Amino acid sequence: MFAMLPVNLKLAVRSLNRNRLRTLLTMLGIIIGVAAVLTMVALGTGARASVEGEVGSAGTNIIFVRAGNYTRGGDAVGIVSGRGAATTLVAGDADAIRAGVSGIKALSPGVALRTFIASGSSRAFTRVQGIDSGFAAIYSWNMSAGRMLDSAAAAPEAVLGANLAATLFGADTDPLGQMIQVRDSAYRVVGVSDGQAEDHADVLFVPWQTLQKSLGQNHLDTITLAAEKAGESSRIASDITNLLRERHGITGTPSAGYLAGQGGVGGVPDDFTVETQAAQALTKGLYTPAAAFALANLPKLDEVTLEEMADTLDRASDTMTALLASIAGVSLIVGGIGIMNIMLVSITERTREIGLRMAAGARSGDVALQFLIEAVTLSMVGGLVGLVLGLVSAQLIGWSLGWPTTVSLGAMALAIGIAASVGLVFGSYPARRAAQLDPIEALRTE
Amino acid sequence: MPVISLQNLKKVYKLGDNTVNALRGVSLDIEEGEFVAITGPSGSGKSTMMHILGCLDRPTEGHYLLNGNDVSNLSRDELADIRNRQIGFVFQGFNLLPRTTAAENVEVPLLYSRPVLPASERRARALEALRAMGLTDRAFHHPSQLSGGQQQRVAIARALVNRPTLILADEPTGNLDTATSIEVMRLLQELREKQKITIVLITHEPDIAAYGTRIIAVRDGIIISDKPNVPRRVSDEPEALPLAAVG
Ligand SMILES: Nc1ncnc2c1ncn2[C@@H]1O[C@H](COP(=O)(O)OP(=O)(O)O)[C@@H](O)[C@H]1O
Ligand SMILES: [Mg+2]
Repeated sequence: MFAMLPVNLKLAVRSLNRNRLRTLLTMLGIIIGVAAVLTMVALGTGARASVEGEVGSAGTNIIFVRAGNYTRGGDAVGIVSGRGAATTLVAGDADAIRAGVSGIKALSPGVALRTFIASGSSRAFTRVQGIDSGFAAIYSWNMSAGRMLDSAAAAPEAVLGANLAATLFGADTDPLGQMIQVRDSAYRVVGVSDGQAEDHADVLFVPWQTLQKSLGQNHLDTITLAAEKAGESSRIASDITNLLRERHGITGTPSAGYLAGQGGVGGVPDDFTVETQAAQALTKGLYTPAAAFALANLPKLDEVTLEEMADTLDRASDTMTALLASIAGVSLIVGGIGIMNIMLVSITERTREIGLRMAAGARSGDVALQFLIEAVTLSMVGGLVGLVLGLVSAQLIGWSLGWPTTVSLGAMALAIGIAASVGLVFGSYPARRAAQLDPIEALRTE
Repeated sequence: MPVISLQNLKKVYKLGDNTVNALRGVSLDIEEGEFVAITGPSGSGKSTMMHILGCLDRPTEGHYLLNGNDVSNLSRDELADIRNRQIGFVFQGFNLLPRTTAAENVEVPLLYSRPVLPASERRARALEALRAMGLTDRAFHHPSQLSGGQQQRVAIARALVNRPTLILADEPTGNLDTATSIEVMRLLQELREKQKITIVLITHEPDIAAYGTRIIAVRDGIIISDKPNVPRRVSDEPEALPLAAVG
């Protein structure tokens, strides 16, 4: 059988070449089918890879509790217009969360301001963040010099981000032990953080209690915490919401949907906001338009976790995959039927040739093989054209959706394999018909 | 041992309620090197006999021994192998593959040889067979570029290429003019004389039958006469032409 492959291939190519337009039209179904399969695989794996990348790089699931809430442009409109100030988030809330909500790996109260800071003759306008030692665990900091702040002491000590250290002290001076003036207080530098998340490299970190005192405020601006297990962010966010509502005396059921967590229409709005990292990432535009589209209908957007987001994106790409799979399936079947049809036509046209080959000693299997190879050649050439088309379309769709696409060699092999099987499956009936022809009858046909 | 031995061969076709007794008991031996012409009116069973002799069909009753082996009840594929190795066909309509060179047409039987012949040997043998038919310079022409006589010579080359013991020719001159017919008959005579190939020729033309060494007449499915014949020579023909002039 394999020894005859070159001969059969030559015969197949010659026969297909003889009716080029017919061959092309017949291949169309396969071309579209294979292109769809390839696009499908490319988008599917691309989406998955991008989500996995996000989830992987985020590492932990960080949850933010912020004082204040979004206010609306008007009751009827419900457009989010900004976050109102609130002074109701206090250290007691942080303690209560720590004590009352399970699954928290680390937590840090937060106070923040933007101001001028000075050290000797150096001055800088930057963010000053009041935190406690838990902050290092939340963001998995390593200290590139010195040590972390000591929560218990709440001493006038400071930790700097790497960029800020360079700005204030230059490359030659050791920042450790230097004094930094913020408003009315002086802080001694005890460490330099390697933190790169958000803008940590440019921030001056001091104990939150000290900063509160310096600002003369009793409330916190934020509470930042990290969930122990990545998948628990959503549950923790909702526990915190319930706990804080209770502590702040907020009643009423929040409505579902995008504005959930801002308090239901008619209810008292929350005076705090609980956000997860995923929602933050989304609002920062780290996600692609495709992701935004996928997330648009997610309830409780603020509380969504990266896992849920990954799930949703997965589902979105599954939907896309299912759609493309049905296109692929239908075109492959239509293409297959086209191949079957054209092979039957070809066999009718070449009945005499078949009779002659049989008279010359071709066995049934030889005749079947000849036409099977012709069908498979037809579908494989269609598959190759579809492959090229699929690569182009995957690239175009990926580019217009902002959705990364990857096509592995395996996927290409799969596409060609599918094309070949279509030829094999739909070519086998015509091939068998040819093989079963009666040589005498076949020789008699005109 | 005869090349062909038919023993009370019968063939019945069933068409719905009708049965046609195409062959009604044919017994016959053909020895190696004979050139047998089978004649008879249309519908007498000549082609039916030819199909059975050519292992394209099986008898309803009786036995057919080809080179001593009973092939009456072999399977389709076994018959295919026998056709491939032992029988060469020459048809009235040439039956060459269109848009395919003469050499490739001649190679067709070699494609189905077992074990498989390498392509180079297939080509060499095809060219050799074409040379024997005086067609070396037409080896790479398509049938449409050849005259009727040349096409039939390609068909004979194809019948010969696998060195069969038997050549079956069903009205090989039916589509040819007289001069070309004579030339084809001369080639067949030469094959018999030089290569000891047994030839069975079907024709309804007595002039063509006269080239055989034996003439068998059939009618209504039985042999009505079977006589040796002194074959007519091409040189006897007033209109005989040298090979080169045959177009
Ligand atoms: N496939 C067939 N089915 C039915 N009848 C057939 C078939 N082939 C031949 N016959 C009949 O058998 C008889 C002999 O036919 P055939 O051998 O072709 O005669 P010839 O070749 O001498 O003209 C005829 O009556 C013909 O109609
Ligand atoms: Mg006939």
